Amino acid sequence: MVGLVFRRLAQTGLAVWALASVVFLLSYRDLDAAVRLALPDATEATAGPGAGRAADQATRQAAFRQRLGLDLPLFYLSRTTDPQLHWVKWRWNGAHNQYHRWATGLVRGNWGVSFRTGEAVTARLGRALSFTLPLTGTAAFLAVLCALGLGQRLARRPWGHSLLQAALVGLHALPLFVVALALLLTLANPEVVAWFPAYGLSQATDADLDTWSQTGRYALHLVLPVAALTLTALPELTLHLSGALARELRSDYATTARAKGLAEPAIIRHHALRNALLPTITLIAELLPALVAGAVVVEVVFALPGMGRLLADAAAARDYPVLVGGILLIGAARLLALLLADLLYFWADPRIRWHS
Amino acid sequence: MTQHSLGKLLCTTIAGLLYSCSPQRTDTDAIRIRWSHDPETLDPFQSPNQVPLDAVNLLHLGLLEVDLTRLKYAPVLAERLPTTHLIGDSLTELRYTLRAAAAWDNGHPVLASDVAFTLKLMFCPDLPNEAARARFGFIEEITTTATAPRRFTLVCRGQSLEYSVASGDFPILSEAAIDPRRQLRRYSLRALQRRPVTAPADTVLLGVARRYRAASPDRSPGLLPGCGPYELVKWEKDRYLTLRRKTNWWPDAGLRPVPAVLQALPKRLEYVIIPDAATATLALRRGDLDVYPQMPAREYARLQTAPSTSNALRLYSSLSYSVVLAGFNTRQPALADALTRQALSHCFDAAGLLKATQMGAGTRTVGILSPANRMNYNDSLALVPFDLKRAAALLRQAGWQRGSDAEAGWVRTVANRPRQQLALRVRYRAEETLFATAALQFQAAAAQIGVPVTLLPTESGTFSASMQTGDFDVYVRTLNGNPFMFNFTPIFHSEGIGAGNTTGFNTLASDRLIEAITTAETEQRRAQLLRQFQALMQREMPVVPLFFLPNRVAASSRITGLQVSSLKPGYSVKTLVRAPQPSPAP
Repeated sequence: MVGLVFRRLAQTGLAVWALASVVFLLSYRDLDAAVRLALPDATEATAGPGAGRAADQATRQAAFRQRLGLDLPLFYLSRTTDPQLHWVKWRWNGAHNQYHRWATGLVRGNWGVSFRTGEAVTARLGRALSFTLPLTGTAAFLAVLCALGLGQRLARRPWGHSLLQAALVGLHALPLFVVALALLLTLANPEVVAWFPAYGLSQATDADLDTWSQTGRYALHLVLPVAALTLTALPELTLHLSGALARELRSDYATTARAKGLAEPAIIRHHALRNALLPTITLIAELLPALVAGAVVVEVVFALPGMGRLLADAAAARDYPVLVGGILLIGAARLLALLLADLLYFWADPRIRWHS
Repeated sequence: MTQHSLGKLLCTTIAGLLYSCSPQRTDTDAIRIRWSHDPETLDPFQSPNQVPLDAVNLLHLGLLEVDLTRLKYAPVLAERLPTTHLIGDSLTELRYTLRAAAAWDNGHPVLASDVAFTLKLMFCPDLPNEAARARFGFIEEITTTATAPRRFTLVCRGQSLEYSVASGDFPILSEAAIDPRRQLRRYSLRALQRRPVTAPADTVLLGVARRYRAASPDRSPGLLPGCGPYELVKWEKDRYLTLRRKTNWWPDAGLRPVPAVLQALPKRLEYVIIPDAATATLALRRGDLDVYPQMPAREYARLQTAPSTSNALRLYSSLSYSVVLAGFNTRQPALADALTRQALSHCFDAAGLLKATQMGAGTRTVGILSPANRMNYNDSLALVPFDLKRAAALLRQAGWQRGSDAEAGWVRTVANRPRQQLALRVRYRAEETLFATAALQFQAAAAQIGVPVTLLPTESGTFSASMQTGDFDVYVRTLNGNPFMFNFTPIFHSEGIGAGNTTGFNTLASDRLIEAITTAETEQRRAQLLRQFQALMQREMPVVPLFFLPNRVAASSRITGLQVSSLKPGYSVKTLVRAPQPSPAP
C-alpha cells in the first residue's frame, strides 16, 4: 500500500512538472502581448512631448525584456530559418535559456517575479492562498457535512422530501453570482437587513481590536461568501448521495437488515452509507483543486483577495509568471485529489483494494 | 453528542457571533474611498494606471502638479513655473528654482541634486523605469551649480510649448536615501540616456538599482521617503491601503499662505479595494465608504432615483477628458479612402448612444479635443449626424455599388485591383457594455443600408494584440486626454504606426500638422493649428469621435469640501473634510 502511494506520488510529481513545463513554453509564445500590456498604453492621448514613436516603443520593450531576462532564448534548442536559403537551422543554447532559469529557480523555491509588479510569485500566491483556503475550505467542509446530513434524511424519504429535492435542484440551477448577490442584497443591505458586512475580510481599523474581536469580525466577514459557496456546492453532493443511498436501500442486504429489525437510520449509517459514498467521493475529490483555485465570482462580489481574483487578473494582464505558478499549484492539487480519491475508494470498498 | 445538541451549539455560536460582532461602522477620522483594483505597485516610476498614481501623488511631490479644480499646472516643489529660453531652433532651456521651504521629513532641504538624481534614475538600467523613459526622454541634460543648490536648468531636445509643464510632472526622490555615496553623480543624464540596452553591466549602476529596488514602497514602505503630505501606514494588497497625514509636513511650517495645491486636509485616507460596482454602491449606502469616484452610469442613475439617497449621499458630476470613439483600419483596402469612412461615420447614432449608455449625460464632440477646452475646440465644425441616407449616398460617391439583391451588399471595382466587398468586423473589449452597445447600434444601422457587420467582442489582452496587428476593420474604445498635452504623434502620425497609431492613418499633411502643433511657439498659434487638425480629421475620418464621457462621483453627505474635476481621478482628495457628527439631543 505504502509502495503504491509513493509510486503514485512520484507519477504525480512528474505529471505536475510536465504540465507546468508545457504551460510555461506555450505561454511564452504570447510574450509580445505580455510585454505590451506590462508597459503603459501607447495609444493614450496624454503622451508627453516627444513620446509615442514606434521606434521609442521598440526600445522600451527591449529594455523591459532585458530587465526580466526575456531576451534569452526560450528553450535549450531554438530554431531559426535562413532567410535566403529557407533552411531550418537548429541551435543549441545550453543552460543560457529562459526554461532552464525558470526550472532551476523552481527547484530552489524561486518561482520568478510578476511582470507587472516585480513581486515574487511565491509571495503573491502565498498571500492569496492564505485568504482562499479558509474561505473555500470552510465552504467545502460545511457542504460535505450538510450533504451527509441532508442526503441521509432524504434517503429515508420523509414527508416533503420531493419538495426539498425540488428546492435543491432549483438551487443547483442558480449561477454562483446570483446566489452571492442575492445573499449580499438581502443580508447586508440596510434597506432589508444589514446583519453582515458587505465586503472584505476586515477593515484597517480592526487592527486595534483584541484577538477575539478580530477573529469574530473575520468570521463574520466570511459568513456570506462561505454561505454562497456552500449553497452552490450543496445540492449536487446531496442529490448524488441521497440517490446512491436510495439505490442501496433497495438492495437485498438492506432488506435483510430491515427483516432483522434494524431501524432505518442504523441501516443507513452502518450498512448503506459506505457503499453509497463511492460516487460522492469523486465529487468531494473535485472540491480539492477548487479549494486552491479559489472562487473568482465570490471573491469579486465580496471583495476578497483570493486566488481566483489573482489568477483572473494575471490572465487578463498576461502576467505569465503568476499564471504559471497558479497553474502549477492547481495542477498539483488536482493530481493529489485524484490520488486521494483512489485512496478513499480503497477505504470505502475493499473489493477495489483486493483487485488492485 | 447528538445531532440535536450539535444544531443547538451551532445556532448559539452564530447568534453570539452576530451579537458580538455586529457590523457597526467604526467611527474614525479616516476617509474611505473606493478603488476598483489594487494599485499593484507604488513605485513612482512604474504607475501602470490611475490607481497607483493617486497614491504616488500623495506620497511624493513633483516640481509642478495639476491643480485639479482649476485645470492648470501649479508650482509645488518649484517656486514658480520655469522660465523658458529657446536655444537656436533645436533646444530649449528651462530654468527652475526650488522652494526654500521644501524639505524631506528629516528636515533636509530638497535640492537640485535630488532632481538630477531622480532624472538619472529614470534612465538607470535594471529598473522598472520604461514608462518614465518614454515620458521624459526629451530632457537631455540637467545642469546644477554648487553655489545655488536650489537652482537648476533642464536642457530639452527640440522646442515645444508643453515642455514647461511636462518637464516638472514627476515625483522627486531623495538622493541621500538611495544613493548616499552619490555614485550616480559620476554619470551625466545624456550618457545614461544614450547607454544602449545591450551595453555590458555596470556595477555602480546595478548597485544603485539594487538599492532603489530594496527601498521600493511595495517591499519596505518608509525606506523610500517622499516629500508629499502623506505616509504609508499599511498596504494590504487587494484589500486596502491606508495613508496618514504627516504631522511635520514642510508647508505647514514653512509656507504662508499655503497654496491650494499644497493643502492636504484629510488626516487619514483609506483606499478600499472593491472590484464589483454593485458591492461598492451597497458599501456607500451602508456608510462603509465615503467617496465612490468614477461611478458607472447605471449605479449613479439608480442612486439619483433612490429615496434613501437624498439625505445620506451627495452626487456630483463633471465632463471628463475621456472620449468614446470608433476607429477605422485605414490599411484595409475598403476603408482606405476618406469618402467610405465618412459614409460609415453617419451610421453611428452618437446622440442615441449617449442617451442609452450615459443616461443623457456627457457631451457630443466634433473631434478628440474636449468641447470644454474652448480655446482649442473647433466649434465651427458640425457634429456628424446619424443619417443613413447620407451614408448610402456617400458610399455611392466613393464608388460602391449596391448588389442586385439585398444579400449582395456593396461592391466596388478599382482599376488593377481585385473587386472589393464592403463587409466589416467590429472589435471591442468584451467587458464593456458601452462598447457592446455602440457596436450593436452600428451593426443595426449598417444592416439597414446593406453593409454586413460582424461583431467581435474580444478579451482585453487579445484586443490590445489585435489593435497592434491590425486584425480589425472598425474598433470602439475610449481615449483619455487632458487639457495640457497635444502630442498626437502616438495615435495619428506615421511614426506612430506599429505603436499607438492603430488605425494606420497617415498623410503628409496630417504628419506636418501634428509636428507643427507640437512645435507651435504660442498658444494662439497652437489653437489655430489644433482647429485645422480637427477639421482635417473630420474630412479624413480615421476615427469617429462619438462623445466625451461624464465623470460621476458619489459621496457621503458627511464629507464636505469635495471638488470634482474633469481630470482623473475626478475629484480632489486633498480638500475632503469629514463633517463633525451631530451630537445626540439631550
